[in-house]
Amino acid sequence: MTYFRAVDPLPLQSVEHTKLHQFYTHLAAGRLTTTRCLGCGRLDWPPRGFCPECAGDAFEWVDLPREGTVHGFTVQETGIPAGFTSPLVFAIVKVGGLRLFAPVLTREPAALQVGARVRFVPVRVADEPKGAPRHLVAFEPE
Amino acid sequence: MKRVALVGAGVTKFGVRKASYRDLIWEAGKACFDSVPAVKPRDLDGLVVGSVMPERTAFQSHISSMAAEALGIKPSSLSARTEHMCASGTVGIRYAYAFIAAGLADLVMVLGVEKLNQPVTDEAILNMGTGVDREWEACHGLTAPPCFALAAQKHMARYSTTEEQLARVGVKNHTHAARNPTAHFQKGATLEQVLCSRMIAAPLRLFMCSPITDGAAAVILASEERARDLTTKPVWIMGTGQALDGFTLSSLPEDYAHWPAMKRAADSAYRMAGVTAGEVDLAEVHDCFAIAEIIAYEELGFCEKGEGGRFVEKGRADYGGDVVVNPRGGLMGCGHPLGATGVAQAAEVFAQLRDEAGPRQVADARIGLTHNNSGMGEHVVMVYGR
Repeated sequence: MTYFRAVDPLPLQSVEHTKLHQFYTHLAAGRLTTTRCLGCGRLDWPPRGFCPECAGDAFEWVDLPREGTVHGFTVQETGIPAGFTSPLVFAIVKVGGLRLFAPVLTREPAALQVGARVRFVPVRVADEPKGAPRHLVAFEPE
Repeated sequence: MKRVALVGAGVTKFGVRKASYRDLIWEAGKACFDSVPAVKPRDLDGLVVGSVMPERTAFQSHISSMAAEALGIKPSSLSARTEHMCASGTVGIRYAYAFIAAGLADLVMVLGVEKLNQPVTDEAILNMGTGVDREWEACHGLTAPPCFALAAQKHMARYSTTEEQLARVGVKNHTHAARNPTAHFQKGATLEQVLCSRMIAAPLRLFMCSPITDGAAAVILASEERARDLTTKPVWIMGTGQALDGFTLSSLPEDYAHWPAMKRAADSAYRMAGVTAGEVDLAEVHDCFAIAEIIAYEELGFCEKGEGGRFVEKGRADYGGDVVVNPRGGLMGCGHPLGATGVAQAAEVFAQLRDEAGPRQVADARIGLTHNNSGMGEHVVMVYGR
C-alpha cells in the first residue's frame, strides 16, 4: 500500500472548499482584505463568516493597509514542523487597528525589532491536492 | 450537590515509550486499579477519556469505548471523550465531577492518554500544530513555543524578568522530576545547563520547554458514600473553575504577559472551595514553558503581578517556600502527553494529600491545586483537600 497524505496544515482555499474563498482570490491578486459585518460594522481579523457581536452572517470585503508595525516577534530555530524550514520568524503585526499573526520574510532576523515597519506580501505555497494554487499572508521589512 | 472525592490514581512511566496507544491505556488502568484494591473494573459506572490527537497519532477515534473495552469497564451512566488540547485531562475530571455531584453517576474513571512520538519526529511536531488555528496560524508552521515566547518577551520587557529567572523554573522542575520515577527526565539540571541548552524560540531554550512525551494516567472519582466505603483517605474535590479569553493570537488580550482567564478560573475555584491562594500547600501548574509557570504564580495569586520571576528566584515556589509548585516535576520534567497531563497532576495531588508521595512529599500537605491550560487564554483550575 502506498501512503498518501490526505490533508496538510495549509487551508483549502478554493470556492469548493471555503466560504472565505474571496479572501484568497484577493490575496493571489496582491490585496490584503478582511470582513466587515454589514449588520454592526465590526471589523475582524481573521475574516469571519459569523459576527460574534450581532450574530449576523452578511459581510463585505474591505482592503487593509499594506503596511504594518511589528507588535512582537520571535525566531524559531529548532522544533520546526515537517514541511517548514528553519528559521521561522513569527510576528504579530498591527495593521489598521487589527493584530495579524504572520511570518516575516527576512534574511536577517537579528535586525528585526519591535516597532519596525513591515510591508504585506502574498506568498505562493503548495498547490491544493487537485492543483489549485494557494497563497498565504506574509510581511517583509520595509 | 454531592461531595466528590478521588479514591484512586495511577500514572504510567512518561517518556519516549516503546508502547502502543492501547498499551498505555492498559498501564494507566493497572496502576490506578492497584491503588484502590476495593475497586474492580466492573464496579465503575462511568469512564471519561481525555485524549487530544489519537486520530493523527494512532489512527484511532471512538476512544472512550475502545478504552472501556481495554479495561473491562461497562459504563452505565457516563462514557465520553474530552478534547481540549493540553487541558483535556482536567476537563475530563470536571465532567466526571459534575456527573457525580449531580447524582447521575457514582464511580467514574478519568483516564488521560497520548502517544505523541512518531517514527518521524518532524511529523510529531507537525501534529502539535493542530492545537493552533489551521487556517490562520498552523499554516505558517506555528506550534506552541513561539506563542509562549511572545509572552516571555513581554514579561521580560514589562517586569524586568530575566533569562536566569526563566531558567530557575527549569532547574527546579527538573530537580523535582529526578525524584519521580515516572518522569520523562530524571537527571536534574543545573542553571548552566538550562541557560546553555539550545534555543527553541527566543528567549525559550530547550530546558525551559516541555518535551514531546508518551504517557497515560488515570484517577477514580466517587460520590461521598462510595468514597467512604472504598478508602480511609479520600481526597476531596473542593472547587473547580474554567475560563477562556480566546483561541488565536489575534483575539487574545493584547498584553501576552497577562492571562486574565487564569485569574478568573482560579477565583472561581477558590471561591467554591472557600480557600485563599495563601492556603495552598502544593500546586501542580501547567509549566509547558517556563514563562507559563512564572505567570501562573501571579494569576493564581501566589504573588503580585510582575513578581513571578523574583518569586522563583527566591525559592518561594520550592520546598521550604510559600507553596511547592510542581513537586512531581511539572510538564518540563515529566513530559507533556497532552490528555494525560491534567490527570497526572490530579494523581500527584492525590498522593501528596494522602502523605504517599515518598521523597517528593510536601510536609503536612492539606490543600492541593492543579492548573491546566490549553493555550495562553484557556485555563482550568481544581482545588483539592484531604
